Amino acid sequence: MTTIEQQTLAISPKEFGLAIINSKAPFSSNHGKDALDVALIFGSFEQKVSLFFQGDGVYQLIANQDGRLVLIKDYLKTFSAFEFYDIEDIYVCQQSLVNRQLNETFHINDVQVLTSIEFGKALNRHQHVLRF
Amino acid sequence: MKTLAVVVTTPPYSHLTITALTYVEAALVAGINVIGVFFYQDGAMHANKDISIASDEYQAIVHWQRLQQQYQLPLHICITAAEKRGIACDSIDNEQVNKAFTVSGLGELVELTTKASRLVQF
Repeated sequence: MTTIEQQTLAISPKEFGLAIINSKAPFSSNHGKDALDVALIFGSFEQKVSLFFQGDGVYQLIANQDGRLVLIKDYLKTFSAFEFYDIEDIYVCQQSLVNRQLNETFHINDVQVLTSIEFGKALNRHQHVLRF
Repeated sequence: MKTLAVVVTTPPYSHLTITALTYVEAALVAGINVIGVFFYQDGAMHANKDISIASDEYQAIVHWQRLQQQYQLPLHICITAAEKRGIACDSIDNEQVNKAFTVSGLGELVELTTKASRLVQF
């Protein structure tokens, strides 16, 4: 990143409310479900919330998974309800997908694949960040 | 006036909780308006009255209680996270819940986040 880009990041206005970063794979821990609960509550209180998927968190978006096969309630199904909660800004880190040799085939629509720089810029537009 | 809200997701025996406590106390001492601490995920375990940490180890719960009393700092626990971890929150007197903590829901986190100039997670 150049110095100018770093300065741009530092002074950019915070247009959006909460960003939730998902950084864990879906079925080994409760983090994904805990993050989802927070996102849906913010949505139901009509607060602006964006979702970011990075690192192993990108596995939460990959199509054709079924948690029930490992006896876990499949919370990923609830992702399809995002539109009813006005959760429209869903970003995934391209580099994280590449590193894991994953295709851009997701189980929900309107996921935006961003480069690391774009990902950082999108994140920086938010007033608050929670990471799970 | 600038306001701060803090989210704690680490359990009372975690060394990361010590960092959270040190941070919050430093903010309070500096006169920053800390509008509340929200305990989520394993953080909810702080409210379990029956937790006993060896006396020669860091007493995170005692320190949260102290900050709550000294600065009237609101300490909220997420009811779902607490009940999942064996803290019964459904009775009127909530005997198992440490009285320094308020049983709240995720709605409280929304409230804190929208009011705070800054939200910091541990």
